[in-house]
This record gives sequence, C-alpha cells and structure tokens, in this order.
Amino acid sequence: MTWWHALIDAGAVAGGSGLGAWDLGETATYETSMVEDSELQTHPIPPNPQPLIPSPVSFLNGIQRWSVVAYDGVAQIVNAYVAAAVCRRDDRGVLHATFERSRAFAVAPLDRLSPTLRPVLQQAVPDIEPLDGELVGQPARYLDQVESTVRRARAHLERELAEAATAALGADEWLVLDGLLSRSPAVARHPRALGVIKSHGAQFLDGRGLERALTLPAGYRTSVFAVRGGHTRTEVYSWYLRLWPWEGNDLQYGLLRIEGRADSETIARASALSGWLLAERAPLATPATRWDRLLYPLHHVEEYLKARAPRSPAARSRLPVA
Amino acid sequence: MIDKAIPVPIGRVVATELKPSTPHQFHFWTPTDTSIGIGAIVKVGGAGSAEQGAERVVYGVVTEGFAYSDLATPLHDVVGAEGDPARVESPTARQQIRLWTAAVLRQTPEEPLQPVPLGQVYVADDADVAQALRMDTYLYSATPTAIPVGLYTSAGRDAPVYLDADFLLGPEAAHLNLSGVSGLATKTSAVEFLLASIFAHFPAHKGRVAAVCFNVKGPDLCFLDQPADLSDEDRRRYERLGVPSTPFQRVQLYAPLKADGVNLNTLRTHPDLVDDVEPLTWGLQEVVDYAEVLLNRDDIDAKADAFIDFLRDRVLGRTFDDGFGTTHRVQTFADLDRLFRSIFDGLEVISGGRSDTWRTHHIATMRKVRNRLLNISTRCKGLVTDDGPSSDLPWQKFQDRTVYVIDIANVDPLGQDLVFARVVSKLREQLERRELGVDAVVVFVDELNKYAPGDGPDTYVKKMLLDISERGRYLGLVLFGAEQFRSQVHRRVVGNAGTQIFGRMDMDELATPGYQVLTPATKSKLATLPIGELMVRHPHFTQPIFIRFPKPPVLRGRDGVERFPPAADVPFDDAVVRQLVRLDRRVRPNQVKDLIADREQDDVRRALATVRRTRPDDVLAYFRKVLGARVDAEASRPREHQAVPPLNSISDEPY
Repeated sequence: MTWWHALIDAGAVAGGSGLGAWDLGETATYETSMVEDSELQTHPIPPNPQPLIPSPVSFLNGIQRWSVVAYDGVAQIVNAYVAAAVCRRDDRGVLHATFERSRAFAVAPLDRLSPTLRPVLQQAVPDIEPLDGELVGQPARYLDQVESTVRRARAHLERELAEAATAALGADEWLVLDGLLSRSPAVARHPRALGVIKSHGAQFLDGRGLERALTLPAGYRTSVFAVRGGHTRTEVYSWYLRLWPWEGNDLQYGLLRIEGRADSETIARASALSGWLLAERAPLATPATRWDRLLYPLHHVEEYLKARAPRSPAARSRLPVA
Repeated sequence: MIDKAIPVPIGRVVATELKPSTPHQFHFWTPTDTSIGIGAIVKVGGAGSAEQGAERVVYGVVTEGFAYSDLATPLHDVVGAEGDPARVESPTARQQIRLWTAAVLRQTPEEPLQPVPLGQVYVADDADVAQALRMDTYLYSATPTAIPVGLYTSAGRDAPVYLDADFLLGPEAAHLNLSGVSGLATKTSAVEFLLASIFAHFPAHKGRVAAVCFNVKGPDLCFLDQPADLSDEDRRRYERLGVPSTPFQRVQLYAPLKADGVNLNTLRTHPDLVDDVEPLTWGLQEVVDYAEVLLNRDDIDAKADAFIDFLRDRVLGRTFDDGFGTTHRVQTFADLDRLFRSIFDGLEVISGGRSDTWRTHHIATMRKVRNRLLNISTRCKGLVTDDGPSSDLPWQKFQDRTVYVIDIANVDPLGQDLVFARVVSKLREQLERRELGVDAVVVFVDELNKYAPGDGPDTYVKKMLLDISERGRYLGLVLFGAEQFRSQVHRRVVGNAGTQIFGRMDMDELATPGYQVLTPATKSKLATLPIGELMVRHPHFTQPIFIRFPKPPVLRGRDGVERFPPAADVPFDDAVVRQLVRLDRRVRPNQVKDLIADREQDDVRRALATVRRTRPDDVLAYFRKVLGARVDAEASRPREHQAVPPLNSISDEPY
C-alpha cells in the first residue's frame, strides 16, 4: 500500500494520475455577492428523465490559430486566424451554422521591420495588428504578446457575433456561448443567453464557499451569486455546476461555471437550466481533451470552424523537432 | 424559381492518403438523408462543377457504403448514456457521415486514364446512364441494336437499360445465364419479359428470331399466350421500355402424349386451351439417331456402337433380308422387335444354337442394344411410340417472333434428355444450313444445375450445352440458361454467357469464389433483392448494374393452372373425338365413337396419328378410310442417315 492510499483510507478523496495542471484561462479577480442563499450552498439537480430542453438553441464558439511565418532579423512576423460561428440545433438535434465570421491577419512589429520588408508586408496583407517593437528583443515576451493579441481579436469577433446572434434569436430561442457572457452588455442582459465557462483561473469565492464549489458532487449546483468587475461592468449571475464526478480525477473535472442575466428569473431558473445542461452531457465531446466540461454542440462548432479554417503553412523545418 | 436545368450536386468526392481515388474507384460523401444507395449510378464533374478536373467526367456505380460518427470509441457512448441504453436520446445528434465507394463505369475522355478528380457528385440522369453503361454506341447508332432489359431505378431515377443484341444474340457474344434462388418468380419471369423485349426490339437488319423453351417444371411456361394481370405501375414500365404489355402473339406448345397415347401429358389440358397443344411423338427413326443419349455410358462400347451404326445404315427404312429367309422393313419399334426376334430365332433354330454371331455382331451385343432401345418405348411411352408415326416440331418452317414451348415436365428424365438432344441438334443442323425459317433461335433451358452440372458424368446433354455455349453464337443458336446455383454449373457454360443476370442469391452461394469480385454490400443487396429486381452483367457494362423489370405480360404458370384448371384424363373414345374435332369442327362425336367401337386401340391411335399428320380436308372421311384396314406404318422413302455431328469430349481446354 502506498502512503496516499493510507490517506484515502483515512478519508481523503482520491486524485487523478495527471500532472495536476490547473486550467487557468482567465485569471482576473471578481467581486461577488450571494443572491440566492445567505452563503454558498450546494443544491442537487432533481433527476428528471425528460429535462426541459429549449428548442431551438444556438451555440457560439470560436477558434484561434497563429504561427510565426517569417523573421526580419529577430522580429517574428506572425500569421493569425480567428473565427467564430453560431450553430442552431433543429428539432432533430442536428446543428446548422447560422452565423460565421473570421479574420485572417498578420501580427508584426511594424516599426521594427526593415524598409525593404515593411512595404512588402503592408502591400501583401491588408489586415495587420501592429505590436510594440520594444518587445522584439525579448522573443518569449513577444510571443506572449502575440498570443494575447490574437486572443483579444478572437474575443472581439465572438462578442460581435454574440450580439448579432442574440439580436436575431427567436421568441423561445436560447444562445449558449463558450466563455464569458459578461463581455458584451447587450448579451449579458439578454434573458435567454447563457455563458458556459470551462476554465477556473478566475477567483470568485474563497473560504468555505470556494471549498464547496470545488468539491461539488456530480449533479449538484451551487447557490447563484452575482459577479461584477472583470472585463466589463455588466453584472451577471453565476453558479457552478458539476457534470461528472471529480473523485479520482481533479477538482476541475466536470466543473462548469454558468453565467446568466442578473435577474431574479435566473435564480428561479437555475435548477431547471442546470438540468438542461446536465442533459447536454451526452453525447460526449470526445475526442476533445476537455470533454468532461465541453458540451458537444460547442465542440461541434469548434470542429466546424477548424474544418473551414485555412490550413497552416506547409513549410516546415526538415530538422527533427527538439 | 428553381432552374431544373442546373443539376444539384448530392455529394463530393473525397480522397485521402488512406482512401485515395484511383482510375477505377473513388469515394464520396453525401448528406445522411440521401437517395443514393448501393447500385446507384453517379456522375462526377461535368457541367455545373467548378471543381478541379471539371473537364473530366467520370461515371461510377456505388458499390459500398459506410456510416460513422465522431465517436472515438464505443465506450464513450456507454459513458454518455451512463450505461443505460434506454436513456432518452441525446439532445444533439452526433456528427455522422455517409461515405460511399463507387466503381468507375466510364471516364470521358478515356485517355489518358487518370485517377478520379475531386469534384461534385451528381445523380445520373437518363443520358448519363446511357453514357455510363456505354449504351450510346448501340442505342444511337444508324442501326440500333438495343434490347431493353429493365429500368435503372436507383436514386429515384427511372432510366431504361438496354442490352446490345449483337452481344446478347450473337455474333459478337451471345447467351444469357440467370441465377437465383427458386420460388421468387425471378428467373422464368425475367426470361419471359426479355423474350417479349427481344421480339419487340430485335433489329430488322438481323433477320427473324424465334424461341424454343423447354418447360421442365410444372406449368411454368404453359400459358405464354394468356395475359397477366398487370398493375398500372407495370404498364407504365412497359411503356417506358417500349415493350408491348401483351402476351406473346404466336405460341406453339408441344407436349408428349400420356401412356394411353391419346391424352396429352401436360398441365395445359383445360378444355378452353387444350386445342392449342400439339402432341409431340417420335418413332424409331427419330430416336435411333440419338441412341447415345439413351444408352448410359457403360453401354457405349465399340461393339454396341458398331451394331447401332449397322442398324442405322443398313436396316432402318430399307428392305432387309435377315439371312434366315425373312425380309424386313424396319420403320417402327415393333418392326425392330420383329427383326430381333427373327434373328434370335434364326440363330437358335437354324444354326441349332451353335452360332452366337450374326453379321459379325455377337448375340450378347445385339441383346443389349435390343433391350435398351425397346425399353425406351416403354419408359417414354407417349413420347416414343412403338409403332406409330411421329408428330414433330415444324422443322424448316419456324416462324418469326414465335415461341415454341416443349412441355417435358412430366416426362421421364431419359425422355427429357432425348427431347433436348434431338431438338437442339435439329436446330443446330438447320441453322447451319440456313433452312430453319428464322435466323436466330433462343433456347431457354431451366435447371442447368441438372443438365450441365460442374461435376458428374459427361452426358450427351451436357456436351450439347457446351457445344451451344462455345459455338452457337456463330449459328444464331443462343442459350438462355437458368439455375439456382451458378457455382455448380459447368464453368464453360456459365463463362461463355456474355450476359449474366442475378436474382436473389443464397448467402452460401455468394460465399463461393465466383462472387469474390463483388463487394460485401453488393452481396448483401443480392441476398435481399426483391421480386422484379435483378443484377445484370453485360459486355458493355464494366460493373454489375441493378435493374427492375416489369411483371411478365403472360400468365404465370401457377396462376394459369388456377384460372385454367387441368382437365382430368378423358376416356379413350372421348380423347379421340376431341382430337378429331380439333382438326375439323364438323366432326360429330357420335359418328367417331361408332366408328372406333370394338376396334383395337393401337389401330385407332395409328389412324389418329396419320390423320393428325396428314390434316385432310374431310377429317372424318379420311379417318374412316385409314381405320378401315390395318394402318401400316408410314411408307416413307429410305432416308439418308443424318448423322449427328460428333461432339467433342468435355475437357477443361475450350479451344
């Protein structure tokens, strides 16, 4: 018997065999307040063989890709692509793309490019995101900046698309976004829009409330709390929901944070909406690595966008990868 | 408004490293709700396609289909359903694919032959089907030779499919082989429809055509002149194919007599129809040329063969002195028996039993030949008359677009072999001499498993079938053969069939090596083919094609016996009356009955046969005349022996 088996026998919960990496995503700190209970509680989702699943429902997701495609000295010139799409699920459960936007652009330190290459780049690429040339001498920080630039571009695209999609929603139609609802005030205030967050780097709770949230049993949700701060000043209501048992895996396993409109109706619907999202566990979003938290329709939108994205540059180093 | 002239693609060609396109095969996907299925003909590229290689048009037939989803392992479905198969359906349908494999039928341009390009896939229309199956060469030529065989109905289409008469009835290729399990009205029905189609579309420049059908099972082919109850859909198909939905206009049915010598040995004995049936009876002259058919292999030794040749050349039809003081004129089995008895008596009495040879032939050989030959008239009584004249097919007077049905369903197997051998030999002889009356004859033989098995002894019938298969197309003698198990028919009979048709097949049969070229999906379709659907292989088609043919325009055998129940055998005198009345409506039954009262039945039979053969104007008077005295056997002039051309022994080497 290993020493940790002794711990488990003594009451500890078994962990997974992974590396224990925390899926950070966004790391901002938010201001929260309880709106359902006086302190964060756990609520079982009543078993319902016929959960109320709205129809139709649209799902929004996005992708991003970038790669360094050229060097001007040590200045790294990046080819980037971001795309987002909305797929509406029909009454047969089949998803059809209804909105789609993409952007292909270059990321380059224009002020540090040579006089020969800069006009060539500007002539060839109509869409360029300039980067601060001061970072060129620090390649690692430069690439971090590229990453955040591309992510920002994707978030912007998703926000635009979410606003367009919510404006076009039918009378009973819902929109489920992969990520924060609160990025757009218009979307955050929509009565039938939900944000589904898979990464839990942001800090909303602490103390006993945090422990209850992170050790939430499968099929349970937490009390609803109000979230303010972060990227926008728009307040949203949020709660945690566990789709799959975390025991034997890790604290994030199967854990979602849901965002909805800051309205008493959201509190009243929290359990019903959680029951709907629990029903979305099937089909599994395999082979995605985060299938335990990724709803299949959002996975489908992602695969759709990947299939339509331009292929990465074919030029590859002939040397073996280190 | 939708412009119907613009074709709508139903799929796209995909090619990956693991599933690449080749010059003979490609893969494409379609939506899950598609009309495409196994056997559908599709077109890649061409007008409307803006894809790479759009100038190249490729036609293919779907041979395999795949469906799969993005499910990584079956376990993930179990996890998703939490181990409960009764769990409510998932709210989202998994992404899934319909991936099809198609075999290339034709590429244009044909050179250089290249892999199928990526492109949009379209359902083939009528013109595309004609192109894909290379039917354009014989459908739109100055002298069209197209024979409709059915409708291509996959993917919601309704396109006629044609065979090339030059490759169905010769001279380029010939013969048709049909396989399929019994009882699904496929083989016989397909032949009936195809004969109707041939008669309607046989090109004028190819001359005249007739069909000879051997009815070997029940009433299968006994009602080809009676109309079937066709549905509106069947009539529409006939119209689409340009084939009249009417029964055969000219049918002549032949059946041997029963042992009583007057009632017909057929199921078509209903009073309304029996008058159309001609008796088929042969005498010694007709039988002895085919003695090899009647004698089993062990009997055929050089001595017996020599004695039979002696009988043919020196005895039959001639005035012959037996050497013991008696002159014979042997024209019937009865005459032959008298000759044998005279010889045996002569050897016993005159030579005192000391000699056992006669004209160099040993008495044992003669006894063996005598036993075998005279036994025929007993075993095949009704077909072979021991002392009556023959009633035969209208040799040299075959008529265009006429079906000659020979009903041997209830005849002893030995008699069936005799009928088959003699009829086919006569057809071959007369086609060789161009004196049959038609330029091509389709011979339909069912149950090839019985008559031309892949194993078993080399019978005369099997040799004949091989001979037709290998040399018939030059003569216009075309074999339409059918069987249940194609794998168990002699491979050269099957292999020489230019056109092959498959109905529903047994899975065990499909597992035999002859079907290895078919994909599992095609085999599955073959194993579940509905009535009226067939798979066709033809020299112009590079891949098997599934077609649908209408219900035959003629009454099916079992429907025929329900609508026209066979009559019970009638007494001898009534049967004689019926035959005479058939020849002459003025004949009064009582007159005939008075005439034949107290007469020997053999005398009456002989007189009846003579009247039947002579067909006089005043039937009753002639019957009275020939019955008045003993009716001698027909005093025909001595005929030249028409030796049957020798058949090669069966070997594995066809050339």
